[in-house]
Amino acid sequence: MFAKLKKKIAEETAVAQRPGGSTRIPRSVSKESVTSMGADSGDDFVNYAEQVRNHQKIKEKLEIALEKHQDSSMRKFQEQNETFQANRAKMAEGLAIALARKDQEWSEKVDQLEKEKRFLTAQLQEMQNQSLNLFQKRDELDELEGFQQQELSKVKHMLLKKEESLGKLEQELEARTRELSHTQEELMISNQMSSELSQKLEELQRHYSTLEEQRDHVTASKTGAENKIAALELKEQELQTSIQQLSINLQKVTAEAEHKEKLITHLQEKVASLEKILEQNLSGEEHVQELLKEKTVAEQNLEDTRQQLLAARNMQATTVGILETQVKELEQSLQASEEKLKQTREVVASQEAQLQALSRANEESRCTQQQALSAQQQFTEHVHALEAQVAALERARAAEETATKHEMRELEKANTALKESKNEYECSLQLHQLELKKLKEECGQREVVSVAMAQALEEMRKQKEEFQQQVANLTALKDENEQSLQEKIEVILQKEEEILQLKKGHDSALLQIRQLQSELEAPRSVRAEEPGAATALEDPQRLPGQEPGLAPSVNETHVNLKAVKDPVYQLSAAEGTPNGEIGTMALGQLQKEKQDLEQHLVEKNKVIKQMQQRMLELKKTLQKELKIRPDNELFETREKPGPEVANLAPSVTNNADLTDAREINFEYLKHVVLKFMSCRESEAFHLIKAVSVLLNFSQEEENMLKETLEYKMSWFGSKPAPKGSIRPSISNPRIQWS
Amino acid sequence: MGGFFSSIFSSLFGTREMRILILGLDGAGKTTILYRLQVGEVVTTIPTIGFNVETVTYKNLKFQVWDLGGQTSIRPYWRCYYSNTDAVIYVVDSCDRDRIGISKSELVAMLEEEELRKAILVVFANKQDMEQAMTPSEMANSLGLPALKDRKWQIFKTSATKGTGLDEAMEWLVETLKSRQ
Repeated sequence: MFAKLKKKIAEETAVAQRPGGSTRIPRSVSKESVTSMGADSGDDFVNYAEQVRNHQKIKEKLEIALEKHQDSSMRKFQEQNETFQANRAKMAEGLAIALARKDQEWSEKVDQLEKEKRFLTAQLQEMQNQSLNLFQKRDELDELEGFQQQELSKVKHMLLKKEESLGKLEQELEARTRELSHTQEELMISNQMSSELSQKLEELQRHYSTLEEQRDHVTASKTGAENKIAALELKEQELQTSIQQLSINLQKVTAEAEHKEKLITHLQEKVASLEKILEQNLSGEEHVQELLKEKTVAEQNLEDTRQQLLAARNMQATTVGILETQVKELEQSLQASEEKLKQTREVVASQEAQLQALSRANEESRCTQQQALSAQQQFTEHVHALEAQVAALERARAAEETATKHEMRELEKANTALKESKNEYECSLQLHQLELKKLKEECGQREVVSVAMAQALEEMRKQKEEFQQQVANLTALKDENEQSLQEKIEVILQKEEEILQLKKGHDSALLQIRQLQSELEAPRSVRAEEPGAATALEDPQRLPGQEPGLAPSVNETHVNLKAVKDPVYQLSAAEGTPNGEIGTMALGQLQKEKQDLEQHLVEKNKVIKQMQQRMLELKKTLQKELKIRPDNELFETREKPGPEVANLAPSVTNNADLTDAREINFEYLKHVVLKFMSCRESEAFHLIKAVSVLLNFSQEEENMLKETLEYKMSWFGSKPAPKGSIRPSISNPRIQWS
Repeated sequence: MGGFFSSIFSSLFGTREMRILILGLDGAGKTTILYRLQVGEVVTTIPTIGFNVETVTYKNLKFQVWDLGGQTSIRPYWRCYYSNTDAVIYVVDSCDRDRIGISKSELVAMLEEEELRKAILVVFANKQDMEQAMTPSEMANSLGLPALKDRKWQIFKTSATKGTGLDEAMEWLVETLKSRQ
């Protein structure tokens, strides 16, 4: 800084010393013009030349005076300038030293602040982490509480259910007990019935025994009667056999009688035949006599036999009559005995019927008894079963009660455990809250620290303001200096004006001279033929010789003025840089950076919002299009968003437009095609799209591939006709062989 | 006609094959997961240039599982496989903190596809056996999963090499697919 200032000062001084050399040249043009003008002056203008000389003298005097004035003013000005510069240099040195000191202090302070800032940011991050942990823990706690409540409600629900089931069981038990009492009553009734039945049975048994006795009597009489019958039957049989013998005898007799009668008839026939033969053949009288003798013998035999027969017949008749009487007697006795038998049989039958009835009754009573017994058994079994059920139910109830009690206990335990865990969690929550409080306190402390820092910053700002005030004071001083300078400049300007006026006078004089010269030229043209005119022009020729001396001096003053002005301007320009440069610079830079970053952020946010809006619009239009267009066009609409999305999010490669990217990964293509040709058809169907994209198939070609694969996969349908570029390259359809 | 009959046959012969895509950045462990699911073993893999497709049977459900290569140059071809997809298994390397942003943008872009509108999303926070692995909640947040709407999703912490977490994830996937039908 100090070096810079020195350099500047050196430069300024160099600039101040330089003028005069380079800027003096341009005025030399007027010298020649004046000499050329002065060359044509004539003799008639001697007076005028004197006047001009006088003028010149006055002018010289004036110039000398002016130079003197100028010199003095210049000297004064230079002195003032030197003093001012010295003052300024001193001030600058002082300021530079102060600045350096302040700079150091500020840099130290900035370093400290940065350190503090870093420390604070680290603490802040830690705090954030801690708070995040805390939030997580709190969330977990909430979750646990939710779980607890859920479990509690579950437990309550289970309890209620158990109570309900218990009530149901009790109701069931009551119903069972009612049933049991009912069955017991029934049992009592059935017992009574059974006792009655047993009484009846006993009576019936008694009756039965009497009947059996009667039956025994009857059977005894029956056996007696049967014996009698058997004897009678034997007698009958004997009689019948005798009758049969008699009838056989009779038959024999009758057969004999018949035989004899047949013999008689035969003999009579013989007799008759013989008589005939005798009558016819008288010749054989001896024979006839013998035959007659035989006849008589035979007739005698016949009569004998007839008598015998008659006797036998009589005998037979008598015996038959006797026998018949005997038979009749026997039949009568038989009939009587049969009647008796019938009677006894009837009695027996009636008794048997009675017996059967009795036995039936007995059996029935037995059956009823058995039924009663079985019913009793059943009832007893039922009762047992019911009692068992009751016992089982009571057991189950007891078990359930114990189970429910156990569950209750467990649930209570679980509840207590949950409560404990809850308490623990609450404790941990409290701890966390305490931690939070601590953290908050720390935060408060940090805030206090930050407030302190802010105060320090404010102090710094105040200091800065003070510095700025100092700077303002210095600038005011500088302004004063400038004002004095300006005053001086004004003075110089006035002088310049004066000089300008003088110049104007000079110019006017020059003009006059020119007029005079032009006037001179007119007579000179008249006297053009006159030689020796050159001598007359000596005076005017002197004039330009003086004039160049004046013009450079004017130029010099002008340049000097400029030179004086320049450092002032430069100074004013240099004063633009304030004293507290570094402190404010650092702060300003930081603030500027911050502002820049904020602006950047705001811009980015805007851009993001715009992008999101655009995305939303695109989505809406897409959805509309999807709604409007039928399904078969869906493919095309799907293709569209590709490039747009790619434009929106260039970082995403997943959605990049594939049709534009011509450089297909050859290895990828190879792999896909290999797989497409080797894998199953169901898998190959999903690869059509990839293959189509990789090989730039048209929609038609892709559809053809799909149809072909569908045909291959299905069992039906016809092979789709090839379309597009895959159609066989023939122009007209095949000609059939005729 | 053929489609009609094939649909009838597929309905007659029970289950249609579920179509599942395994996606994710390169080196996330997609191929290892695929073969762990299929044969139950850890296989040595090389970077997948292209894809792997296997039929995996899980709980009487048949899955046609496609493992698509995740290298940056072939990620654009994922789109070709999206149609008729029932579920997407998105595999993320839990230790790759640098590229989780890329993983998120790829996931978001994928989920915006109309063809995947009805697909179920299962995120595998893989390589959980590593020490510096991120937690699933952290990953879900950095993948922007909680912001997803109209999407059935779940994140599982897995380790394909140790075989942990895969069963739970597949169980969830099967149940979700069954309940969706």
